[in-house]
Amino acid sequence: MPPNRRESARRRRRDAVLGALPDPAPDPAADPPSAVRPGAYAGTVLDASPHLLVLATPDGEVRLPLSDRTSVWHGGDGDSAALRPGRTAVARPHRGRPGTDRVWIDPVRVSGTILSAAPTAVDVDLGPHRGVVQVAVPPHVYAQIRVRHPRLEPGYLFDAVCVRSPGGPVAVAPGTSQPGHRADARTDLEPDAAVPTESHGTATWFDGGDAPGAAYPAVDAEGDAGGCADAPRGCVPLPVLSIGSAVTVHNSCTGRTARVPVTECGCVAARYCDRCVQCGTSPRGRLIELTPVAFAALGGDLDKGCFNAILRHDRGTRRW
Amino acid sequence: MVTAFQNTQVLLLSGVLLAACLAKLAIRAPAPAPDHVHGVPLPGRLRQATALRHSRTMSVTVALVEGGLGVALLVTSQFSVRLATALAFAGATWVVSELRVRRPDAGCGCFGGLSVQHVDRRSVARALLFTAAALAALGAPRAGFAVLRDGHATAWLGLLVVELALFCLLSPEIPALLERGGLRRAGEPCERRHSPLEETMRTLRASAAWTGHEESLVSAVPLDVWREGCWRLLAYRAVSDGRPVELVFAVSTAAKSRRVRVAMVPAEDEPSPAIGKSTTV
Repeated sequence: MPPNRRESARRRRRDAVLGALPDPAPDPAADPPSAVRPGAYAGTVLDASPHLLVLATPDGEVRLPLSDRTSVWHGGDGDSAALRPGRTAVARPHRGRPGTDRVWIDPVRVSGTILSAAPTAVDVDLGPHRGVVQVAVPPHVYAQIRVRHPRLEPGYLFDAVCVRSPGGPVAVAPGTSQPGHRADARTDLEPDAAVPTESHGTATWFDGGDAPGAAYPAVDAEGDAGGCADAPRGCVPLPVLSIGSAVTVHNSCTGRTARVPVTECGCVAARYCDRCVQCGTSPRGRLIELTPVAFAALGGDLDKGCFNAILRHDRGTRRW
Repeated sequence: MVTAFQNTQVLLLSGVLLAACLAKLAIRAPAPAPDHVHGVPLPGRLRQATALRHSRTMSVTVALVEGGLGVALLVTSQFSVRLATALAFAGATWVVSELRVRRPDAGCGCFGGLSVQHVDRRSVARALLFTAAALAALGAPRAGFAVLRDGHATAWLGLLVVELALFCLLSPEIPALLERGGLRRAGEPCERRHSPLEETMRTLRASAAWTGHEESLVSAVPLDVWREGCWRLLAYRAVSDGRPVELVFAVSTAAKSRRVRVAMVPAEDEPSPAIGKSTTV
């Protein structure tokens, strides 16, 4: 069954047996919750000029106006010359006014366990359903990576924002500071830790395609839920959900809120007990990994790697 | 006074060794941990050591040695027995320290299947304290039974109780033991609790919701099985009044007093409005 159809079928069945939650009354002081789109677009560049970007997205062709105030990222600050047909792009319109705020070209995120490391390349296990990838580390980035990854050795975690190249991902900057523990370290989370209504922590992004979605760290491994059998329990007490469940994500730095469907098991995110310091210091633990378009739509900058987030797990959208 | 302190350590060590022996023999350790951790293979020697540690023969042998030392401490005051005990605890301290560094995902197995929680500083501190107690007991003049029979030594039983309390505080096995004995409810909230599918199916099949609708099921194989926090949901094809419908069961994932709910909804291809009648059983 296609993911969208399965999600709607599960929602229909779940609401029938457990009851649909009423939508809360809107809070006029809060930023209104929105669908992920049209907060951002992701797709393949079809055509580009200094004034217009044409993207092929899962929902069809999208034309986005560009201006000299549009920031283009292609492994660093770039310009419209980087907008070449065939490249992948994530574009975020300005908030509340026309025009495009930011465009990221060929962004790639590599998060996982180091299998082997050399000064020029790192082999990373991205998890049971994402495979293994080799990241090239250019000499001018190596020192920056080492500062945030003091244990660049097998068994430790790696996280870098990269740019796609014909030879594979090329590291541009560290995604977050490397957690001090090994990838296989169990967390100190007590088995009987209560699950709060909303969880505070960090949200990151992963290469999950052009559609809005999320990899959730606590997906059930039984039945058709879609979880990984050997997933760690993580360091945040999250309720066990399934692919097709929906969570509400709030970006504490920008105030944006959106409901995002769970599209993948986030067993890699569960291994990171790190923090985000984009606006203050978040509590420890990755709550969710968003697809690039969902991350950008919530106001996150793909090149920054994370934002301080609040996650709510029910079927309604809370007033923030 | 020093002698009485030493004699108390003999009792403590004997009790711990006998408890470890009984736990290893009575409660088998769960399936061994994999020889790789998230794609990172264990080094060859460590893999062999792990396999050896998880073999039942090895476990029983260690249990018998521990039991033998425990009984020997009770019946004899031979220096060789005390020395063997001290060496055993020193070796255990080394093993536990190594496990903490090299296998942070595995339990120590010190008390058989009760020691499944990963080795942390508490386990190392406990092994160190026992080693210290064993060293202190080297010069103890009396055997364990003799200490128990001595009326004057009972004043030191207070110290023994304090040491046992410290031992309990440093032991992750105590909560596991209480849960096993039904004295402590597993406090894991239903939203996070691991609930095997077999448990859900047993609960469902035993429920009135299932027996009340079983006749209308088209197939016993569910269309979809997924989880939403405290509930595992199962959708089945069914027929009601000649029309294809779906029966959706929600089975609680709580440790005890699991509830089952059922609702009937139109089959996915049916255009009719939702029947949506939900009952709790």
